[in-house]
Amino acid sequence: MTASTSAPTPMSAHAPRYRTEVALARRAFKQVWISATLWALLFGVTIAASALNYTSTFPDRATRLKLAATTGRDRGMAMLLGPVSAIDTVGGYTVYKCFVFLTAIGAVWGLLIATRLLRGEEDAGRWQLVLAGGTRAGRATVATLTALFAGVGVVFVGTTAITLLAGRNPDVGFGAGPTLLYGLSLMIAPTVFVAVGALTSQLGRTRRVATGLGMAVFGITSMLRMIADSGESTKWLLWTTPFGWTERMRPFGANDPRPLLLALAVVAVVLIGATRLASTRDAGAGVVATSDVSRLRPFGLASPVRLAARLDASVLSTWCVGAIAAGFAFGVVANVASGVVSSSVSDTLRRFGVHGGSFVLRYFGIAFLLVATVVALLPVSEIAAAADDESTGRLVHVLAQPVRRTAMLGGRVALAAVAIVTTGLVTGVAAWLGAKTQGVDPGLGRMAGAGLNTVPTALVVLGIGVLVLAIAPRAATGTVYGVVIASLVIDLLTTLVSGTSWLDRVSLFHYMALAPSEHTDARTVVLTLTAAVLLCVLALTFFQRRDLDTA
Amino acid sequence: MNVVCTDRLTKQYGHTTALDALDLTIGEGEVFGYLGPNGAGKSTTIALLLGLIRSTSGTASIFGLDVWRDAPAIHRRVAYVPSESDLWPSLTGAEVLEFLGNVHGSVDRVYRDELVERFDLVLDKKIRALSHGNRQKVVLIGALASRPELLLLDEPTTGLDPLMEQVFRACVREARDRGQTVLLSTHVLSEVEAVCDRVAMLRAGRVIETGRLDALRGLAALHVVAQLHSPPPDVSRLAGVNNVVIDGTTIECDVAGSMEPLLRKLAAVGVRHMTTREPSLEELFIARYGELQPASTDER
Ligand SMILES: Nc1ncnc2c1ncn2[C@@H]1O[C@H](COP(=O)(O)OP(=O)(O)OP(=O)(O)O)[C@@H](O)[C@H]1O
Ligand SMILES: [Mg+2]
Repeated sequence: MTASTSAPTPMSAHAPRYRTEVALARRAFKQVWISATLWALLFGVTIAASALNYTSTFPDRATRLKLAATTGRDRGMAMLLGPVSAIDTVGGYTVYKCFVFLTAIGAVWGLLIATRLLRGEEDAGRWQLVLAGGTRAGRATVATLTALFAGVGVVFVGTTAITLLAGRNPDVGFGAGPTLLYGLSLMIAPTVFVAVGALTSQLGRTRRVATGLGMAVFGITSMLRMIADSGESTKWLLWTTPFGWTERMRPFGANDPRPLLLALAVVAVVLIGATRLASTRDAGAGVVATSDVSRLRPFGLASPVRLAARLDASVLSTWCVGAIAAGFAFGVVANVASGVVSSSVSDTLRRFGVHGGSFVLRYFGIAFLLVATVVALLPVSEIAAAADDESTGRLVHVLAQPVRRTAMLGGRVALAAVAIVTTGLVTGVAAWLGAKTQGVDPGLGRMAGAGLNTVPTALVVLGIGVLVLAIAPRAATGTVYGVVIASLVIDLLTTLVSGTSWLDRVSLFHYMALAPSEHTDARTVVLTLTAAVLLCVLALTFFQRRDLDTA
Repeated sequence: MNVVCTDRLTKQYGHTTALDALDLTIGEGEVFGYLGPNGAGKSTTIALLLGLIRSTSGTASIFGLDVWRDAPAIHRRVAYVPSESDLWPSLTGAEVLEFLGNVHGSVDRVYRDELVERFDLVLDKKIRALSHGNRQKVVLIGALASRPELLLLDEPTTGLDPLMEQVFRACVREARDRGQTVLLSTHVLSEVEAVCDRVAMLRAGRVIETGRLDALRGLAALHVVAQLHSPPPDVSRLAGVNNVVIDGTTIECDVAGSMEPLLRKLAAVGVRHMTTREPSLEELFIARYGELQPASTDER
C-alpha cells in the first residue's frame, strides 16, 4: 500500500538507539563544562604557580635541605595541611602545598555537580519528563554519570596540561609520567565524590538531603585523613579515605599507583549500587523513607520569617555545628602546633600575611581564615532558599498576603545575620575550649573575638547575595558561591605568586584581619559593616520595586 | 461601588504586550468570569491586581486603593488562588492552612473545617505527598476560609475532579450570596456558565467582548431545527441566516437577528415540529476566537 510511506510511524522506529540517553548526557555536560573548565584552570595555575614559586624561593640544594630539615616535625600542621614529604624537591613541595586545597575543592565540586544533576533535576520534576521520554532511570543515571565524569575528565586534562607546561621549565623539570600520575591522584577526590553524590542522590529525597549526606561523608573522610596524619600509629587509616589515597600516591616521589586501583574499585562498587537503586526505586522518591504523615506542629507558622527559620533551621544548624567542630578541632591541634616552631612554618604563616603574636596565635590566624570561609558560605543556604521560594511560586503565596516585601526579605536577612554572628562566636569559643582541653589557653575573650572577626566579611557576602537576589534571583546562589570561592582563590594565589598582591584588593578576605594574631582594625571593621548594611538596604530598595517571578 | 477598577492598565515584557490598555470594572458582589486562550493575559492581570508585578502604564485600584502602593492593605481584604501551587513540601496541609491563616490575619475556623470536609481533604499529609489536585484544594480552602471581600481566582480548578469542581462552584455561589466579589479566570466554560454573572473575553492582551452572560449570548446566532410537511423552501438568501443544512423535509440553520423572515418562509410550507437552541458559551467562544484565528496565531 502506497499510503504506508506517509502513515505516521512511531518516532522510535527511526530514531537511533540510545537517542534519549545521548541527548541527556549532552545536556548534563552542558551544565558542568563551565565549572569544570574553571576548576581545570584553577588547579593548573595553582600547581604551576606553586612549583615556579618554589624554584625561585629555594633556588639551590642548600636552601631546600634547610627547609626540609626544619619542616618535618609539625604534626599540627600535618593534620591541617597534610604531611610534609620530600619537601626538598619541587614536586614534593608542590604536592604538599596544593594537597588539602585542591582535594577539598575537587571533592565538594564533584559532590555538588552530582547531586545537582542526579537529585536536583528530579527534585524539580525534570527527571520525570526525561523518563517519560523513553528511557529508564538506570540508563538515564548512567548517561548523566558519563557527562559528570566527562566534566572530571576536563579538569584532569586541563590540570595535567598546565602542569606539563610548567614542568617543561628546566628548574621545575617534571617528568611526563609523574605529572600524569599527579593529575590522576588529584582526580580521586572529585571522582569518588561524584560517585558519593550519585549514591546519596538515590538515598535522599531532596537535593538538600542528598548534598547534606554527601557533605557528611566529606566531613568524616576529611577527619579520617587528619587523624591518619596525626601520628605513625594511625597512618593505616589513610587507606580508609579518598584523601588518604591521594596522599599515599606521592607523585614525583614514590609514584605509587596502587591507591588509584583501590579508588577505581570503590567508585565502581558505589556506582553499581547507585545505578541499581536508581532503577529500582520510584521516580521522585528516596530510598531512605521519610514519613509523609505528621500531626500539626504549630512552631514557626506565625509569620513568613518564622516559617523561614523553621524550614532553614536544620541547614543553618548543620553549618553552625560544622563550624564549631572545625573550631574545636583546630583548638585541639593547637597543642601539637605549639610544640616545635620551625622557621619554615613561620615563613609559611608570614606568606599568609600572619605576623607577630605567639606561634599559637599565628596558627589560629590561619585556622580562622578557614573558619571565615565556612562562615562566609553560610548565607548561601539562606539565599538559595529565598531564590527557591520565588522560582517555585511559594513567595507569591506569601506576598499575596498582607505582608510587606521589605519586612519579608529584611526578616530573612536578619535571620541569616543572626546565624552568622552565632556561628562566628561559638566557633571562637569552641576553638578556645579545644585548646583548653590540651592545656593551652589563648584566652577566651581573644578567641571569641577572633570568631566574631569573621562576621563582617560574611555579612558583606550576605549583602552581595541579597542584592543579586533583589535584582536577578536566579543568579543569586551562584554569585555567593562565586564571590567566596574567588576570594579564597585570590587570597591563595597572592600568597603563592609574588607580584600579584595588587589582585588581593578584590578578595573579601583581604579586608579581614587574621585574628587572633593580627589586631582587628576598628576602622576596617566599621567600613566592612557599613558596606554590608548598605548592600542590604540597596537590596531591599530594589526588591520593593521589581516584578516578582510569577512565571 | 466598584471593587476592582482598572484604567488603561498595560503590561509589557520587552516587546511583548502581555496586557494592552485594559479597562475593567467589577462591581461589589459580582462573580466576574475572565476568559481567554493561553497567553491572553489573564494571569498577568491578576498579578498586576495583586501588586506582584508593576504596570508599564495605566492604573488599577481595588476598594479604591492603588494596587501597587497599598498592596498590603488591600491583601488584608483579598484572597488569591493561583492555577498551580508549589507549596512548602515539608509542611502538612494543616500546617499550610495554619500558616496562611496566621499571615492573612482573618480566618473562619468553623467554615474552614467545613470546607475541609466538603473538599474531602486529608490534612495530616505532607504537601510533597499530595497529588496536584489535593494541593490545589489546600490553597482553595485557605482562600475561601479567610472570607475575603474579594477572591482573585486564577484557573483555580486545574486538577480538580468533576465532583470537586461541583463543590467549588457551590462555594463560589455561597460566596456571592454572602456578598463577596469574585474574579474567576478560567478556560472551563461550563464553570463560567454555572457561576458567573458577567464575563470579559480577552485575547492578546485586549478585551474583545464584555458584558452580561445572557447579553453576550444574544449576540450570537440561534440554532434552529425544523421538520416541515414538504421539502423546505430556499432560505439561504434571507438576512442573518447561515449554515443551512437540508435533509429531506428537515432543515437546520443558524439565525442571527430577527427570526421573522425565516418563520414566514417556513410557515408557508407548514411546520410539523421546531426547536431552537441558544448557543453554548463554548460555541460563542469558538465563534469569537475562531473568526479571529489568523490574528491569534501570530507570534506575540
Ligand atoms: N515574566 C514574563 N516575561 C515575559 N513574558 C511574559 C512574562 N509573563 C507573561 N508573559 C507573556 O505575557 C503574555 C500573557 O501571559 P499570561 O500568563 O497572562 O497568560 P494567561 O492568559 O494567564 O495564559 P494561560 O491561560 O496559559 O494561563 C504571554 O504572551 C506570556 O508569554
Ligand atoms: Mg495563566
